[in-house]
Amino acid sequence: MSNLAQDGEKLDRNRMSAQAPVSSPSPGDGPTPTHSVPLFYRRGFRRLLQQGLYIAATALLFWYVYDALNLREFGFGFLDDPAAFKVGNQWLTDVDGVTSSRIEMYLVGVWSSLRVVFVAILLSTLVGVAVGVARLSSNWLVARLAMLYVEIFRNTPLLVQVVLVYAIFLVGAPIIQEVVIIGDFAFISNRGLAIPWPVPNDGLWGLPDWFVGVWVALLIAIGAVAMTVRRTRQNRERETGQPQFANRWAFGIFAVGALVTFIVLGLPVSIDRPYVEGTRYLEGMVIRPEFAALTIGLTLYTGAFNAEIVRGSIQALPTGQTEAANAIGLSGYQRLTLVILPQALRQMIPSITNQYLNVNKNSSLAYAVLYDDLFRVAGIIQNKAGHALEMFFVIIVTYMLISLVISALMNFINSRVTRVGV
Amino acid sequence: MLFAGAALVAGAVIGACTSDEEQQQAQATEQQQQVEQQQQRAQPEAQVSGEPRGNTTQLVQDRGTLKCGVKQTQPLFGFRDDQGTVTGFDIEFCKAIAAAVLKDADAVEYVDASDASTRFELLADGQIDILIRTTTITSSRDMELDVDFAQTTFYTGQGFAVRKDSGINSTSDMANAAICVQTGTTTEQNVADHFTDIGLDYEPTGGLSQDVAAAFFEGRCDVLTADASDLASRIVVRDDADDYKILPQIISKEPLAPGVRDYDSDWKDVVNWVVHGLIRAEEIGITQANVAAMAADPPNTEVARLLGVPFGDGDVATLGFDVVDAQFIQRAIAAVGNYGEIYDREIGSAIERDCTLNALARPLPSEAVDCGPGEGGILYALPYR
Amino acid sequence: MSEQPPIPRPDQRPLPPAPGAGQRRIVLPPHRQRARRPRSVRVREWVRKNLFPSTAGTLLTLVAGAIMGAILVGVIVFVFFGANWEVITHNRWLLFAGGFPHEEAWRLWVSIAVVFALIGAAYGTWSSFGRRDHLFVLVVGGFVIFLMAHGGAAIWSTVYFLIAIGCMYLGYAATVWMPRETSTLRTLQQRIVGGLLAISLPIVLVILLVGGEVGPRHIDGFVLNLILAPVGIVGGVLLGIPLALGRASRMRSISLTCTAYIEIVRGAPLLGWLFVALFILDDVIGGDLIIRAMVVMAVFTGAYMAEYIRGALQALPRGQFEAAQAVGLTPTQSTRLIVMPQALRISIPPMVGQAISIWKDTTLVTVILPLRELKGNADSAIAQFEFTPDRIEAYVFVAVIFWIVAFAMSRISQRVERAQGVGER
Repeated sequence: MSNLAQDGEKLDRNRMSAQAPVSSPSPGDGPTPTHSVPLFYRRGFRRLLQQGLYIAATALLFWYVYDALNLREFGFGFLDDPAAFKVGNQWLTDVDGVTSSRIEMYLVGVWSSLRVVFVAILLSTLVGVAVGVARLSSNWLVARLAMLYVEIFRNTPLLVQVVLVYAIFLVGAPIIQEVVIIGDFAFISNRGLAIPWPVPNDGLWGLPDWFVGVWVALLIAIGAVAMTVRRTRQNRERETGQPQFANRWAFGIFAVGALVTFIVLGLPVSIDRPYVEGTRYLEGMVIRPEFAALTIGLTLYTGAFNAEIVRGSIQALPTGQTEAANAIGLSGYQRLTLVILPQALRQMIPSITNQYLNVNKNSSLAYAVLYDDLFRVAGIIQNKAGHALEMFFVIIVTYMLISLVISALMNFINSRVTRVGV
Repeated sequence: MLFAGAALVAGAVIGACTSDEEQQQAQATEQQQQVEQQQQRAQPEAQVSGEPRGNTTQLVQDRGTLKCGVKQTQPLFGFRDDQGTVTGFDIEFCKAIAAAVLKDADAVEYVDASDASTRFELLADGQIDILIRTTTITSSRDMELDVDFAQTTFYTGQGFAVRKDSGINSTSDMANAAICVQTGTTTEQNVADHFTDIGLDYEPTGGLSQDVAAAFFEGRCDVLTADASDLASRIVVRDDADDYKILPQIISKEPLAPGVRDYDSDWKDVVNWVVHGLIRAEEIGITQANVAAMAADPPNTEVARLLGVPFGDGDVATLGFDVVDAQFIQRAIAAVGNYGEIYDREIGSAIERDCTLNALARPLPSEAVDCGPGEGGILYALPYR
Repeated sequence: MSEQPPIPRPDQRPLPPAPGAGQRRIVLPPHRQRARRPRSVRVREWVRKNLFPSTAGTLLTLVAGAIMGAILVGVIVFVFFGANWEVITHNRWLLFAGGFPHEEAWRLWVSIAVVFALIGAAYGTWSSFGRRDHLFVLVVGGFVIFLMAHGGAAIWSTVYFLIAIGCMYLGYAATVWMPRETSTLRTLQQRIVGGLLAISLPIVLVILLVGGEVGPRHIDGFVLNLILAPVGIVGGVLLGIPLALGRASRMRSISLTCTAYIEIVRGAPLLGWLFVALFILDDVIGGDLIIRAMVVMAVFTGAYMAEYIRGALQALPRGQFEAAQAVGLTPTQSTRLIVMPQALRISIPPMVGQAISIWKDTTLVTVILPLRELKGNADSAIAQFEFTPDRIEAYVFVAVIFWIVAFAMSRISQRVERAQGVGER
């Protein structure tokens, strides 16, 4: 992070060593012999003085702020009190606000935010890559369309996009009484989109629900095996030059393994199909309009920025790469996925990471579309209990933690990408 | 300067605390701190910077404008017209108070308090002098928050709006219904409590009042819950108003009253008696049209007293206010009319008044059986004397 | 993040050869010049090459054409048949200036004229109007005039707006004649126009607020966006420079506190800081909420600007520092004369990106604070009886307005980049 500071120190040392043999010290801030110079003009003393003054000023400022904030009642005890409000848009959780505490409600809000952030990051990356590549398309119409998208969504406020998406969805989608059924398994209305969803069940042998966890664990193990096989086959292919069909093997192993364990464990998972009863969806998974509006808004907005990053990274590649790929007879798709994108990836990861962090922070716009994310729940708690400073502290720590996790993941990916010779 | 004051007091506290040396007993320290706290309570302006409190009347008069926190997104009660002017039922009371205190009904600065979650902070912060924003008096707000309530300007209760074809007739039909509810309000808590009491579950969608209303009308929710007056105001402006109904079931009392800061009884008195004065004016038949004539030639002593003019050869009977002059109610009536006129002008077309809580109380139960125009409620001005 | 060199902005094309800029046009000898084919042939060739190169390409074109056609038809149907634009035309004053006193409206017009004239002068000094710029002015100006003219009684505001546009061209004409070679006069011109630009914000604030009965509380509607964003941007840059230098400082205490400031501010969303402005800052700085909003905007932008400037500092070649040392400049001098000018120039593209971002973020003040900017007043407009169903129209209009300014900003920044020669070394 503070490369420059280190650079500066290095620079300092270099200069000192370079100037050491020179007998007459240069004016300014070169190293000066200490004996003849008054204390006040010595560099070390000056620096000490400056820092001292700076620290004193900062401390004064802090003291003033601390003093003004009047922290007599500072404490987090209020978070354990009963919440007395409900939050909507819960998924996998069912916390009623009556008996649960405020901190539980806040965690529900955090979970809601995380879902939005995760989905928006995923979708905005896909949109970004697709549009970024499309902008460089030799097809005039496609390139124009991509440019239109980028220029529109990059230059309008996210808040307006989100409320607009929400308003359009509410007006555009049919009301629940006229719900549209897609292929007999999905429903769409302005109450949301209901889709089938896997749920654990007793299965053939009447095993308890948690047994689905065993199956998931087995799946992970099989996946690991498949990946190992893939890598060894890839290595062999590289050594021998004979095609080893690494991907096919890996996929086959995984598919067969998953199927066999699924049957052996007695079909522990079934697919829940949604249906409409009265004015509500039952079973399945329901993607609520609020979640959809926020996620789509974030996706479109961030996607436009990602597209520019992808485009810039591709353009930064030497043209020789494209020409070489053409020369060895790769198709357009192969050229893109095997040559261009893997190389552009290295260039784009730092900027893309920044966009992901923005997605995290921008998810707070849920405040404007009736989605109960962490910021909104914190606002409700603050409205009921006061303690604005504590709530803000909680909010900022939460956002920073999520940012840290995203940064750490992206750093990990970055290290993989830059290490592996693509 | 205010910072300096706050810093001085804080410095005094700290000085007092740190000067307690070890020979002093802990008890003494505690006592001292309690004293300090009491002192701070007595001088609340020391705790909160921003603008001094404790004498909002003086502050408003010195400033020359009244900062009024109002809603700007609710039809009938508080909204903005195409020229950016704020209008509505609540705004009339801002004008009346400005006319009473500042002798100028237009000397009002309207501050947006549309977001229910932040409105009390605006008051505590000194951003507004008075909050007239369909705000319910509740015990916890009165006690916990830095807000004090004056005379209620509108009585309502929490109701439920549904589509007529939804088949919902009471809350017992609302099992697992999607309910749109405004966050940061009493309605949010009431509905949660009510559904706990009747043992049903529901799926809430919460947000700003205008957002949840829009979502409801688009069909996002089965039920919209808010103050019955709020529901009426949002339904009546629609072309398809006939497709909706407000259930007769009312699950709470919602007296909507102007809010002022705590520890400011003078200011609260002024607000209080302006509202009462407007109601009294309706009771005794003083209107915007005849107030000047009445003031020139008061028919009886009470009218003279209310309008602050001498009756016959007598002196002006002051009502004992030293912060405003005797004619403050006369000016308020001249500016906006009496309570009934305000009601008819702003919300009368949409919300029935006769025989509701917002009508005048009957003079005596034996005298009238049917409700006359504007009668049959509980609106009852306290005596001016 | 900012360690990376800034990614070239989208439409950054190579500098078009300026007439008389010393670039020679290459003229091929006659036997190598291809005969100019007829226009129809050229068009046909272009179409084949760019739209129908192969079967897959044709398919792609058809799909893209279908999407584009659907969007176009949808937009046309919505704009001309589906939408009720009366919510906008009826409320144009509410959306534009809200509670700004009518009798003081001349202050707005004078400010707009001043800003327009400065924009024109800046264009005349460092760039020139192209055909596209005239088109942009024509389209946007026509759009604004259409809005104002709709419903009568607005003839004077239309006239004032035309005068403002006239001021822009006047400012342009006053500066564009100057030869581009470096000369004393040219330097003077650049200094004057640059200085005026730098103090344009205080000038506008003086015009708006001094004398008369306009106070900060009257700044409302779109005018609030127009004031808040420049305050945030200018304040952000002014704050960002010392922060960046502080973070790069060798003194531990300074670099630590600056780093902490930058990272903490960047850690929370702007909504969170506006929350602080409302609930927490009242005990610390007090004052009008619009002032607090400005402070928060500047504090927030400052952290981001600092990161961009720091990135630029790191991107400077080591030799620049060493050369400054070698010629005997003190650290202050080398920072002021050598390092900062270069760093600021390198960081123009990301800083403009941040400026556009803060422009868009001015919509957020309504969400938390009781300030009503354009989006907030659009919410008020759709609370009026007759316009409650027109939410989409109102929001689309808000989006279009923000788009126009953001787009103009990005285009102007490209001009600035080109004029400053960013990315050319």
